[in-house]
Amino acid sequence: MGTDLFERRVVISGVGQSVIGRQVDRSGLALTIDAILAAVEDAGLRLDDIDGLAMFPGGGVANLPGYANGNLYEVQDALGITTTWRQGIVEGMSLPFYGPAQAVATGQARHAVIWRTVKEGSASRNAGGRPAYGSTKPAAEGPLAWLLPVGMLSPVCQVAPYAARYMHDYGVTREQLAWIPVTQRAHAALNPDAVYTSPLTVGDYLAARMISSPICLYDCDVPADGATAIVVSAAETGPDLRAPVRIEAMAGVVEGRPSWEQWEDMGRVGYGAAAAMWARTDLRPGDVDVAQLYDGFTIEAVWWLEAMGFCGTGEAGAFVDGGTRIALGGELPLNTWGGQLSGGRLHAAFGHTAEAVRQLRGEAGHRQVAGAEVAAVTNVGGFEAGAALLTCW
Amino acid sequence: MFWAAASQGRLVVEGCSSCGAESFPPRGICRSCRGRAMVPVEITGRGVIYSFTVNYQRWLPDLEVPYAIVLVEFPGHPGVRVAGRLRGCPPEQAAIGMAVEVGFEPGPGGYATPSFIAAGGAT
Repeated sequence: MGTDLFERRVVISGVGQSVIGRQVDRSGLALTIDAILAAVEDAGLRLDDIDGLAMFPGGGVANLPGYANGNLYEVQDALGITTTWRQGIVEGMSLPFYGPAQAVATGQARHAVIWRTVKEGSASRNAGGRPAYGSTKPAAEGPLAWLLPVGMLSPVCQVAPYAARYMHDYGVTREQLAWIPVTQRAHAALNPDAVYTSPLTVGDYLAARMISSPICLYDCDVPADGATAIVVSAAETGPDLRAPVRIEAMAGVVEGRPSWEQWEDMGRVGYGAAAAMWARTDLRPGDVDVAQLYDGFTIEAVWWLEAMGFCGTGEAGAFVDGGTRIALGGELPLNTWGGQLSGGRLHAAFGHTAEAVRQLRGEAGHRQVAGAEVAAVTNVGGFEAGAALLTCW
Repeated sequence: MFWAAASQGRLVVEGCSSCGAESFPPRGICRSCRGRAMVPVEITGRGVIYSFTVNYQRWLPDLEVPYAIVLVEFPGHPGVRVAGRLRGCPPEQAAIGMAVEVGFEPGPGGYATPSFIAAGGAT
């Protein structure tokens, strides 16, 4: 099917990350360059091979302190390269490699780097706790005007009502959902770069303080400092690359009402993207060996399990119960780097993409899924959703 | 339109003069027929809690917690969902399906912000 799909003309050639931690005493620019240099080397390329640069978020979007780092101009100046394609991606970034893949597939760039750098760990420390949404802005305006005045001061408050509604409609319990953060913490213990690696139990989860019901502390991703860079290259350069990974299919769909408080049913946010993605491949959910599903909150991974068809609607609670299916060695190992819940909020599926590439190359160390040939990667940023399948070269 | 009515304690949304569809927040265009002639429509009846959260986290230094945030829909007014605080009962008593009355309360910058008052019993 679809050998002329544009994503088949590109590969992910490199991934690189800076030091990752709750607080890292390096500037956002330094972290960004750390990650870019690592990614380019990982690809088997030289900096002068890079002719495309992109970042998320572009345009100085900073609803949260520490959210946006690694300015496009400063990075290009620091690297001393010439570009034929650049993009600061604010909206429309269903997946980190989506825009770069379009550019490479259409010949605007041959090797494009995209990065995402967060300093939210340090920002949280400086604020004495996770900062309020919009706290970097002088006044609530645009979409925030309907949220901040009534006390929806964080993405936690915005997602929580939909989590409550989902659990109400399908009878899904916190005892079941606990297995996602608990299992991912066990995975994080095998990842030397994860932020939190100490054991977490279902009892710990149930005893944790509530942030915005039904979302408790361990349902929230961990604010972190760190950078991830991804290199996207033309497939025809594959023989010259160290260890490229194919993009089998990808899609990004925004449907319904793109608004935190107006979504008809946030639990279905990924369905459009997943359906569009599956329509571009002959592979089926049962072919997926490892899943890196966006987990800004536990509930987002739950919704992705269902949207991707790994289980039916309303069945994810039973699917994850006990952790067997989603653990290493299970039928669908989930977020094998610990995910954002334990690995760190690297955001926008950059951490998820990096792990998918490592797994497909067999470079995931003690958490390697044996023989992984197909990896699912998904991202959701509020109401933006993107889904992809990556496969071995 | 919305904030002026809010200062009088009234909940006003947009209604389309062509097809009659209602919508919130105001966009200046009908989301059903794309007509541009939108007129104010006041909602006076009880609403129903679509969902809610009880927030315990002190996001700002002077924030009093806990409080319940509710997403409210209105029978007979499809296309309208309004977020607000819940008053009139302990926050932990918020529930999906609970009936609420429309209310407003003083908010930041002198604006009246949406809030809802527990009406007792489900609709």
